Amino acid sequence: MTSSMTRYRKYLFIAPLALFLLITLGYPLVTNIIYSFSDVTFRTIRSPRLIGIQHYKEVLTSPAFWGSFWFSAKFAIVATFFEVLLGLGLAIALAPLLERYKILLTFIMLPLMIAPVLMGIMYRLLLNEFVGPISQIMQMFGIYVSLLNPPWIVGTLVTIEILQWTPFAFLIIFSGLQSISGDVIEAARIDGASEWGVFWYITIPALLPNISIAAFVRFVDSFRVFDHIYVLTGGGPGRMTTSLSIFIYKSFFQQEQIGTAVAAAMVLLIVFLIPLIFSMRQITRK
Amino acid sequence: MKKTLRIICYVLVVLICNLPLLATIATSLKTPAQISASPPLLFFKPTLANYAEVLTSPSLHFGTYLRNSFGLALLGTLFSILLALPAAYGMVRHGVGKKFLLPFVTNLRTFPLIIFAIPFYFMFQSVGLLDTVLGLAILSCLINLPLALVVLLSFFQDLPIELEEAAFVDGASTFQTMRMIILPLATTVLASVSVLSFIYAWNEFLFGLILTTKVATPVTVGATFFITSFGIRWGQTAAAITLSILPPMFIGVLSFRYLTKALLSGAIKG
Repeated sequence: MTSSMTRYRKYLFIAPLALFLLITLGYPLVTNIIYSFSDVTFRTIRSPRLIGIQHYKEVLTSPAFWGSFWFSAKFAIVATFFEVLLGLGLAIALAPLLERYKILLTFIMLPLMIAPVLMGIMYRLLLNEFVGPISQIMQMFGIYVSLLNPPWIVGTLVTIEILQWTPFAFLIIFSGLQSISGDVIEAARIDGASEWGVFWYITIPALLPNISIAAFVRFVDSFRVFDHIYVLTGGGPGRMTTSLSIFIYKSFFQQEQIGTAVAAAMVLLIVFLIPLIFSMRQITRK
Repeated sequence: MKKTLRIICYVLVVLICNLPLLATIATSLKTPAQISASPPLLFFKPTLANYAEVLTSPSLHFGTYLRNSFGLALLGTLFSILLALPAAYGMVRHGVGKKFLLPFVTNLRTFPLIIFAIPFYFMFQSVGLLDTVLGLAILSCLINLPLALVVLLSFFQDLPIELEEAAFVDGASTFQTMRMIILPLATTVLASVSVLSFIYAWNEFLFGLILTTKVATPVTVGATFFITSFGIRWGQTAAAITLSILPPMFIGVLSFRYLTKALLSGAIKG
């Protein structure tokens, strides 16, 4: 059938997709580059005046930018660490039960179907000092702290992230667990391997690809965290919980510093290009 | 004994993960007095007053938000399938776009689109897509493409080529083969792509916040108005959240069995 097709006709299959991406990603990329080197306000957006690397200088020397950058990095590292650890633990602890009763998986997966912003509002209700069940129960034990204020707030935000996305890490690791052959484990047992030995020398190495995928996806997702922080703290108090996404959003919408916001976005793009190129290479090699 | 421990562990995990959901549904069914009762009431006479208020009050616009979310999720899903289906076919059967386009699209999954939020804003403003459902649908299509492409790709890889060759021998065109041979076989995979795309599109928040002002506001953004505007009325807020969560959760639970497979292949290859 390929012979009947002229050399270029087969490109028609991917043309719509390629064209769509060129418009929706190419155009913004070019404008981003221009804006980041220009003096732009909402009024002069049509005729940006080039001013060189000033915005980049501002951003790279701004404590607010680096504060949000490191907040995102630490937030993502802590959340990813616990999500993967808990996901692994749960997968191993619950696998015998869930393999027999697949339907039980549904209830663990429910948080994955909830919008993170709505999850944030739900926790606002749970932690409200007058009507929130968690606060009310804490008060019954004589604990009068608000988990939505310093010094607890950062921990609360990370915990919410972990509680919502541990099921994702769990699901990926659980599926890896199911593909480990029982024969291998059986053979190891016959050779005299202990329970711990089987876990450490067979289960963990076999799960390593799934663990790293779960960690990679969760890390990049939590690094750009926005939704639940936006409704719970708006990035405050001060800049205490400003993630990089919130920094870009606020610079643009609240402070109307388009140049700063775009330059920060470009720095984020450059940071993300490194893992992007790396994993594109991986896929092409396959 | 070990089994009992596993069951206890399972129940604890499910309770902790779903506590916000349970508390919100309970709150949505309570009167203001019942909501502020301390200690929290476990048993109470449920009322639907909050739902009635949220759905009928003209000042809350919640019906419009629900319609917008349905519109953008359905359109976004449709767009991403229309773009990904021929592309996946071309990649598998003709080997086009495998070198750059495929790895590029799959990696979009990890790309923080906030980077382009500002150009999107001005681009949409200049072509009149700002604050429109169509505009949001275009962006949710962009967000859903990686998953749609990867899942459809693995579908075509598993599909025996003999079926199509037989159709070609019988004189069918590419388009006819697509419509009569492939699409009927692809219903399951298309359904799982649609369900996942629908859920992602429905749950998206950031672009809804940036690119709408009042006309095309989706429920994720609309629900935040309940806590920012008038002193929080928790019963109505909880009812609004419950209504916003129900559609994705409903179709998610119904198609759960197909969903996990698609979700996994999307996550693992992406």
